[in-house]
Amino acid sequence: MMYIQHFNCISPQQNVLSNDMDLLNDASEKKMQAKEPVYESIPPGVLRRMGKAIRMGVGTALPICKAPALLNGIIIGTANGGMEDCIKFLNQMVQYEEGLLAPGNFVQSTNNAIAGQLGLLTENKKYNITHVSRGLAFENALMDAMMQLNENPTGSYLLGGVDELSTYNYNIEKLAGTYKEEAVSIKNLYTTDSPGCIAGEGAAMFVVSNDAAGAIVKAEAIGTLHSNDEKEVKGKLKKFLDENLCDDDKIDLFLSGENGDNRSLKYYTACESLLNSNTTVGRFKHLCGEYPTASAFALWLCCELLQTQKIPHHIIKKKSTEKEINNVLLYNNYKGYQHGFMLIKNCR
Amino acid sequence: MNRVFVTGMGIISAIGNSVAENHLALKEGKSGISKNLYLFPTKYASILPFAQVGISTNELSSKLKIFEKGVTRTSMLALHAFNEAVEDAGLSASIISAYGTALIGASTVGGMCLTDELYEDANKCEQGSDYTQSYDCASVCLFLQQRYKMNGIINTINTACSSAANAIMYGAMLIKNGFADRAIVGGADSLAKFTINGFNALHILSPETCTPFDENRKGLNLGEGAAFLVLEKEKDAAGKKIYAELTGYCNANDAYHPSSLSEQGDGPFFSMQGALQLAGLAAADINFINAHGTGTENNDEVESRAMIRLFNNPPAFASSKANVGHTLGAAGAVEAVFSILSLYYQELYANLYYNNAIPSTGLVPVQVYKKMPVQHVMSNSFGFGGNCSSLIFSKA
Repeated sequence: MMYIQHFNCISPQQNVLSNDMDLLNDASEKKMQAKEPVYESIPPGVLRRMGKAIRMGVGTALPICKAPALLNGIIIGTANGGMEDCIKFLNQMVQYEEGLLAPGNFVQSTNNAIAGQLGLLTENKKYNITHVSRGLAFENALMDAMMQLNENPTGSYLLGGVDELSTYNYNIEKLAGTYKEEAVSIKNLYTTDSPGCIAGEGAAMFVVSNDAAGAIVKAEAIGTLHSNDEKEVKGKLKKFLDENLCDDDKIDLFLSGENGDNRSLKYYTACESLLNSNTTVGRFKHLCGEYPTASAFALWLCCELLQTQKIPHHIIKKKSTEKEINNVLLYNNYKGYQHGFMLIKNCR
Repeated sequence: MNRVFVTGMGIISAIGNSVAENHLALKEGKSGISKNLYLFPTKYASILPFAQVGISTNELSSKLKIFEKGVTRTSMLALHAFNEAVEDAGLSASIISAYGTALIGASTVGGMCLTDELYEDANKCEQGSDYTQSYDCASVCLFLQQRYKMNGIINTINTACSSAANAIMYGAMLIKNGFADRAIVGGADSLAKFTINGFNALHILSPETCTPFDENRKGLNLGEGAAFLVLEKEKDAAGKKIYAELTGYCNANDAYHPSSLSEQGDGPFFSMQGALQLAGLAAADINFINAHGTGTENNDEVESRAMIRLFNNPPAFASSKANVGHTLGAAGAVEAVFSILSLYYQELYANLYYNNAIPSTGLVPVQVYKKMPVQHVMSNSFGFGGNCSSLIFSKA
């Protein structure tokens, strides 16, 4: 259990809370790329050398780190880190036949460069870690933050999830059959009955602590599972809810990671079937596309929805009659194999 | 909070394919570093020394009965060490797949050991190789998870060269916080054209076998390997063979430079100090430090300075990098095994190829194998991104 004090995000969208779907940015060339802001908080000389993942991660984190040196640690989840720098370095290596190469891309390509740069720029010499467990990298980072706060109850931590979409990981995933063959508008994402999803990217950052004062959101519990059996997933979710939800409590919003891929729909349907008509069902992948740490975007969205107490129409799949949103269940799966559940509560 | 004990170990490195073989090689002061890289074509194969595991990828694959496609050498090395560790701890298949058994791995190379395949898949949109889902660091633990049908928490950590130390620390935290009953923790990395060229671009690869803590050290040698530990809580470890207790750990950041350590060594200092504090030990209680000691100009001098800063008169210390090379994401686990062997057998292994002390620090590492009472061992791992971690293992 922990409280979220501050949250920020860079995503393919700038108007997620608008009811007008025409104000949303649609996929372009089968990709949903992040709309990067002008990075005023990053020194220009440093910014020039940063790859996109580092830029997005650092650019999302710095504005919410009010007193960065006071943070007790930096905990990042990223499946791929600086993928573009990685392949750039690889390509130079091939092109120059292993000649003398500039090390810049190599250093920027390591997964831990985002957390490392954040430590460097905020002069934070404390706990610094990068979880890379693919589709559960952010969930593991979140669990880490909970454990750190358990061992250090008065602390506060920067927690984030970041993944970039580069030409290279797009190519690799395309070859693996991850994406839809056809171009699909986000307006039709959930109704095109075909295999594959739309590629996405983004960064979401949170300052977390045990301090309820000033917090809007409480991350109550987290659960993860590796399985391709939807019955097992449903069973695990049921157990998760039994353990973490009080008898007289209910889920007001089920935020589902449904991504338009007809191969993974069965997991979302199975989990949805555990909930009754008191629960509104919402979806978010039309906003951010699919990427390994998309659940970090979902948690950010959850914070926004709890804060405003309004759910835009484009998010809603099935609406309940309940007005207030207090308990949110967030379920996401990556490639039908890695499953994560988060129970999020309104704490105002 | 629960106490955490080590009840099983497994390792594969350039000096042996098991804990027993590694132990013997350490006692004999054997180095696994040579200039005859046969694993893949690279222009540095006979120019630079490397520490490679003496089993080809094909041999590993048939020895481990891997019939599925897309399994990389890194995953095979991991499975080899994992098998030994779980067997050593007597974990049955049903215990391994229980909800309470976590797997926390570490890797920096992952499937990028297949540099040529990655190049093709990332640049040419023609026909995918068998490895499109195997390049990332997570692929290693996901392979083990599938192989053993594991249902507990599965995680992979990449904090560069300190990755496996953090995996060990994370596993211990899961047990202490009640998220897992036991954790299988460690790391794996294999040699790759990618890292060879990366470290070469940074000018920190030694043209000769590395000489940690020597005045004339010329850099590091890359190695490969894997190691896993089985961590169990007090109740479950009772009655089993116990190698050591994990009493202290700390992760700190140097916050100085993306690829080198600060002159004063704040990261190393804070990680060593924090581990002592968690263990409730005084500096004088540490009998031996398994140093990170890569053999680079920067690391060895800064680590020495940080040891002096914390310990005043540092205890016996040595680096095993001249035995097994720098195994990157596996190093923290490989060296945890070596540290635990020191505790278990009450002996210290020699820091090979040392001649003269670094003038500014004057520190002299352990130069010959010796028997000695050892109660607490500290193991250091420092990496790019300023990521520094220290572990303390104590005699159980």
